[in-house]
Amino acid sequence: MSWRQIFLVLKREYITRVKSKGFIWATILVPVGFAAVISIMVFITVWESESTFEVAIKDETGQVAPPLIEINERRYLDYSDLEIDSLRTLVQQDRITGYIVITEENITERRNPELIYRGSGGMEFLMSVESDFRQVIREVRLRRADVSEEIQEIYEARINLDTRRLTREGEEEDDDTIFLSFVGMLLGIIIFISIFSYGGYITRGVIEEKTNRIVEVIASSVKPIELLTGKMAGVGALAITQFTIWILAFAGLTTIAGPLAMSLMETSASASGDLAAAEAELPAFLDFPTVEISLIVYFIIFFILGYLLYSSLFAAIGSAADSDTDTQQLMLPITIPIMIAYFIMFHTWRSPDSILSVVSSIIPFFSPILMITRIAITDVPFWQIGSSILLMILTFAGTMWLSSKIYKVGILSYGSTASFKDIFKWIRQ
Amino acid sequence: MTTIDVNNLSKTFGKTVAVNNVSFEVERGRIFGLLGPNGAGKTTTIRMINFIMPPDEGEILINGVKAGPKTQRWIGYMPEERGLYKKMKVGEQLIYLAQLKGLTASDAREKIRYWLKRFGAYDWHSKTVGELSKGMSQKIQFIATIVHDPDIYIFDEPFSGLDPINSELLKEIIIELREKGKTILFSTHRMEQVEQMCDDICLFNNGKVVLTGNLRKVKKDFGKNTVLIEFEGDPTFLDQLENVRINNRSTNFAEIRILEGLDHQDILRKAMENTEVHKFQLVEPSLNEIFISTVGEDNIKQQELAV
Repeated sequence: MSWRQIFLVLKREYITRVKSKGFIWATILVPVGFAAVISIMVFITVWESESTFEVAIKDETGQVAPPLIEINERRYLDYSDLEIDSLRTLVQQDRITGYIVITEENITERRNPELIYRGSGGMEFLMSVESDFRQVIREVRLRRADVSEEIQEIYEARINLDTRRLTREGEEEDDDTIFLSFVGMLLGIIIFISIFSYGGYITRGVIEEKTNRIVEVIASSVKPIELLTGKMAGVGALAITQFTIWILAFAGLTTIAGPLAMSLMETSASASGDLAAAEAELPAFLDFPTVEISLIVYFIIFFILGYLLYSSLFAAIGSAADSDTDTQQLMLPITIPIMIAYFIMFHTWRSPDSILSVVSSIIPFFSPILMITRIAITDVPFWQIGSSILLMILTFAGTMWLSSKIYKVGILSYGSTASFKDIFKWIRQ
Repeated sequence: MTTIDVNNLSKTFGKTVAVNNVSFEVERGRIFGLLGPNGAGKTTTIRMINFIMPPDEGEILINGVKAGPKTQRWIGYMPEERGLYKKMKVGEQLIYLAQLKGLTASDAREKIRYWLKRFGAYDWHSKTVGELSKGMSQKIQFIATIVHDPDIYIFDEPFSGLDPINSELLKEIIIELREKGKTILFSTHRMEQVEQMCDDICLFNNGKVVLTGNLRKVKKDFGKNTVLIEFEGDPTFLDQLENVRINNRSTNFAEIRILEGLDHQDILRKAMENTEVHKFQLVEPSLNEIFISTVGEDNIKQQELAV
């Protein structure tokens, strides 16, 4: 093998692709799309705090309206003096969102308060009204029952499960399992998508050289194995470039997104003169727990190994096909393992330590997707990570050997797409 | 001096024997024609000389060196199935191909500039090949083949698909290269080009060499047994001739190969009885005739062997 030739091929593959419009657009659009999603979510949050629904309370008991107004003075209005007919008119004219008549029966008997409204506001509005009333009526009932403050507190308490992780070194850490589960799934999906898309680049590149009939000219200067290696390295370098740009863009966006959202919400809150809202917490989706560096390193390792493992096969398929449209059937042997790994991931995501998850994450063709998901979520023993990496390297040697045999013959056979039978013949040659 | 020395070359694909114990020598500074019907094994042989495929058996020496990555740089190769990257710019593409043949980038640039100017193609430098017409991209293909200034040039069916202008241009290039002392090997099944250009030939049939040597000598060995006749009148007398093969027949012209026994004077007599003869000439057989009779005999022999 001549490194000079491999490098020349690598350089061409890299430069022609990096300059292509498709690559530039994809590289820009992904972070822009991410930014768009975040800003849409921010605006929804900001908007939501701005929009007000006015619910008129005709409180015949005199005990329910004041605490409600305390909870949300912009939403609940004490209209106890008005007649029901005039309340109805107000709702009909859309001057208020709705009204609720509270009678003694709502407190003493099991009778739910009834909201009469025009149907606007949606589920979130209804649920918050419901929970406000549940809280207030319960308080009134407790007070009337004359129970001690202690018991009142017991009723008000809401029990959640707090979790902390104990590391092997004996340190306690904040537990972000839920967040990390999403990260794990996301990383798995990213590797899944990138194997297909960069693999697709390679297949199409090989077919292009065949259909353009330039491949024989190249083959008179370069060994097939050099051409194959150069191609894989070139597209791999492209993938690394794209991911570096994306990771930097995401890191940048997540750092500025939080403060930006905060300042936006403060301006909107102070505009309405609501100090309580100004102190509002950052919305949960912007509160990114830190991702460990080791996870990023593992992601890169598994991404590269997964790419190598599959990309040579994608090249072999390109060499056996005669046109872009003929690749479907030949793709199956590659598509099936990736799809299986992808479906197992939805199980692994919920129970990363099950036997299915452990075993399949060590199978080389599944590892790139499943092992990274597990590493993100749970504490994977090093022997499992180590053996999956080792097995992937060994399998890569095997797929590369196989692919180079197919590729060598495939690039020079024009005219028709090879069948699996032909391919077996090429391997045995 | 021998530039390309092919010894007992064989190559098998599955059950098909594509090349069967082939030997020939290509001399420095000469134009060597590789002839034969489709599927005779020409392209496979050429690919092995170019080290695109390894031979199963036998040996190829290029200037005394076994064919390999090193000898690839001494050869400029234009395959039958040829093409270029459609989306790549002409200049970049030529630099890439020249670099693969071992040139440095600056050296390549200089040579590409020379050839683009020479072919009146300098303006295409920054165009992509997809934007060029077919004729234009054929010119770029020639440049890609010769830019690294090798000693040996191999063209596989070079004239197929070329427009007449580029056909003529390629012929000029080939003649010019020979004048510079370069060695040229090309395969074709168009005989008139071989007759015009080749010094030596090698005739392939069914993976084997059936005839090889200097073109003049090959023709001489076949003897002056071909009659060219021009006449006016009823041409049906031609059909009554026995032991002849008639090539190139038209209403008032025929090329007649005398197979055995028949005296050419008999043909003249028959012609004069039936028509007015304008011209009667005894010549060496055309290469086309040599091709047809050699390949035909070889095929008959093989059929007999098979039976």
